[in-house]
Amino acid sequence: MKKYAIVLLLLIAGLTTNAQTATKEAVIKVTGEVTTPLTIGNAEFQQYKQTTVTRKDKDGKDHTYSGVLVSDILAKAGVTLGPELRGENLAKYLLVEASDGYQVLFALAELDKGFTDRTIILADKVDGQPLVPADGPFRIIIQDEKKPARCIKQVTAMKVMFAK
Amino acid sequence: MGKICLVLCLLFAIVGLTAYKGMEQVVPMGDYIFNYPANFGNRINVPADNPTTQQGVYLGRLLFYEPKLSATNTVSCGNCHQQSKAFTDGRALSIGVNNGLATRNSMSLANLLWARKFFWDGRAASLEDQVLFPLTNPHEMGQSIQASVQKLSNTLLYPGLFKIVYGDSTITGDRIAKAIAQFERTLISANSRYDQYLRNAYKPTDDELKGMELFNHGPDPEKGIRGANCTHCHGGPKTYLELFHNNGLDSISKDEGMAAFTGLVTDRGRFKVPTLRNIALTAPYMHDGRFKTLDEVVAHYSEHIKQSVSLSAFLQGESNEMGGHSLKLLPKEKKQLIAFLNMLTDSTFITDKRFGNPHQSTKN
Ligand code: HEC
Ligand code: HEC
Repeated sequence: MKKYAIVLLLLIAGLTTNAQTATKEAVIKVTGEVTTPLTIGNAEFQQYKQTTVTRKDKDGKDHTYSGVLVSDILAKAGVTLGPELRGENLAKYLLVEASDGYQVLFALAELDKGFTDRTIILADKVDGQPLVPADGPFRIIIQDEKKPARCIKQVTAMKVMFAK
Repeated sequence: MGKICLVLCLLFAIVGLTAYKGMEQVVPMGDYIFNYPANFGNRINVPADNPTTQQGVYLGRLLFYEPKLSATNTVSCGNCHQQSKAFTDGRALSIGVNNGLATRNSMSLANLLWARKFFWDGRAASLEDQVLFPLTNPHEMGQSIQASVQKLSNTLLYPGLFKIVYGDSTITGDRIAKAIAQFERTLISANSRYDQYLRNAYKPTDDELKGMELFNHGPDPEKGIRGANCTHCHGGPKTYLELFHNNGLDSISKDEGMAAFTGLVTDRGRFKVPTLRNIALTAPYMHDGRFKTLDEVVAHYSEHIKQSVSLSAFLQGESNEMGGHSLKLLPKEKKQLIAFLNMLTDSTFITDKRFGNPHQSTKN
C-alpha cells in the first residue's frame, strides 16, 4: 500500500513538473507579400542550407554564427527576389519583429545576392552552441554591420510589405 | 407664507433654468486635431473605423467619468485613473465595485495615441478592445454591456449625444467603446521640464543633467563610463518605446505576464515597459505595485536584479563594476537619476481642464 502511495506521489510530481515545463516551441511566422506564408520552428529551420557569418560582439572578439540565409527563407515563401527584384518590387521591405515588440527593417535589395555580397542570416547557434534564451532561439546576424542594433534577438515574425 | 412660496418658486425656476442651460451645452463639432511635438513622431494609432471627432471626444469624456457604467453606480474609469495622479490611483492594486481588488496596478493613461498593445501583458490590440475589459470585469466595473446600454438609454443626456456623434440615438457597446477610446487618444502629455529642455525652453540643473546622462548611457567600466542604461527600454522623447521585458523583479514571477498567452518560458514575468512620463506622480510602481518610492525602484536596478531564463538581455551583465550583475550605482548617482525622473512631471497635463471630470458641471 505504502509503495503504491509513493509511486503515485512520484507520478503526480512528475506530471506537475511536466505541466510547468511543457511550454510551446518558439516559432517565426513569415507573412505579408508572400505566395506561401511560413511557420518556422527548429525542425523546419534545420531543413535549409546552413551557413556561417563571423562578427565582432560587444566583447570585441570575433564570433562565428551559424544559421540560414534570410534570402533562402524569403525565396521559399515566394518573395520577389532575384530576377523579380525590379520595378515596383524595389519598394518592398522586410520588417523583422522580436518577442519584446522591437522591430527593424531591411530593404529587399539589402538581402539579395544580385545586389550585395554582404550576408544576412537568421542564426540559431554561436560558436557551435545554441543561442542563450535571451538572444534566441533565432537572431538576425548581419555581416560587417558596425552597430549591433539590427542584429535583432528573439525573432518571432518576418513580414514583407510594400512601402506606402 | 405666500411670499416665501414666491421666493422659493423663483429659486426653483432659476435653478431649473441653469440646469437646463447646462444640459444644452453646445457640443463642439468637427475633426479633432491632435497637437504634439514633432519629435514624438507621427506613428500614431487611430483605427480607420473610429476617426477622432470633437463630438466623439466630448461624449467619450462623459462616459470615461460615468459611474452608471458600473454595477453599483459608484465606479467610473476615473476612479482608478485619476487625472491628478497622471491617471493612476495611488494604490498597489486598484479597488473596483464592491471593494474587489484588481489583479494588477493601475496604469497611467498618457500618450496612448502612440501605443499599439495595451495592458501590462499587451493582450489588447486596440483601445476599443481594451475598454470592454474594465467595463465587465467583476473586480473593476462589473456590469454587462447590455446593462450599461440599458442604463444610458434611460438617461436624458446620452441618447441625444449618441445621435450627434453617430447619426442616430442607438446606444451600443461598440459605440461606447469607440467614444471612450477617442477621449483617451487626446490625453497627450508633452510639457514636462524634459520636453521643455528638448525644445530649448528649460535649463536643467547639474543634478538633472548628470541624471539624464546616466539614464541615456550604458555602463562601460573598462572605459570608465558610468551609466544606468534606462534608455534602452524607456528611451526617446516620449520616454516610451513599445517593448515587453522581464526586468528582474523575481526569479520566478508569480504573475506569468505574457507567458499566460504565449506559453513560452522566455515570456514569464515579461511585462510592458511602462511610460516614465509623470513617474513621480504614479507611485506605487511595477505591475503589482511592490515599490512605494522611486528610491526603491532605483535600488532594484542598482542592486537587486534577479536572474532567470526570461531576464531581459539588456539587464544581463550591465554593471558599473567589472563582472557585476546589476548596475551598482553610487548614492550620489541614484539621487541624480531621480532628479532626472522628476523632470518628467507634466503639471499642465494633470490640470488640463479638457481632461477633467465633466459631470461636476453638468449633473445628469
Ligand atoms: C478598478 C480599477 C480600474 C477601473 C475602474 C478601470 N481601470 Fe483601466 N486599468 C486598471 C488596471 C489595474 C490596469 C492594468 C490591468 C492589466 O494589465 O491587466 C488598467 C489598464 C488600463 C489601460 C491600459 C493602458 C496601457 O498603457 O496599456 C487602459 C487604456 C485603461 N485601463 C483604460 C480604462 C478605461 C477606459 C476604463 C473605464 C471603462 C478603465 N480603465 C477602468 C484599473 C482600472
Ligand atoms: C530591460 C528593459 C528595462 C530597462 C533597461 C529598465 N527598465 Fe524600468 N521597467 C521595465 C519593465 C518591463 C517595467 C515594468 C515591470 C513590471 O511591472 O513587472 C519597468 C518599470 C519601471 C518603473 C515603474 C513604472 C511604473 O509605472 O510602475 C520605473 C520607475 C522604471 N522602470 C525606471 C527605470 C530606470 C530608472 C531604469 C534605469 C536604471 C530602468 N527602468 C531600466 C523595463 C526596463
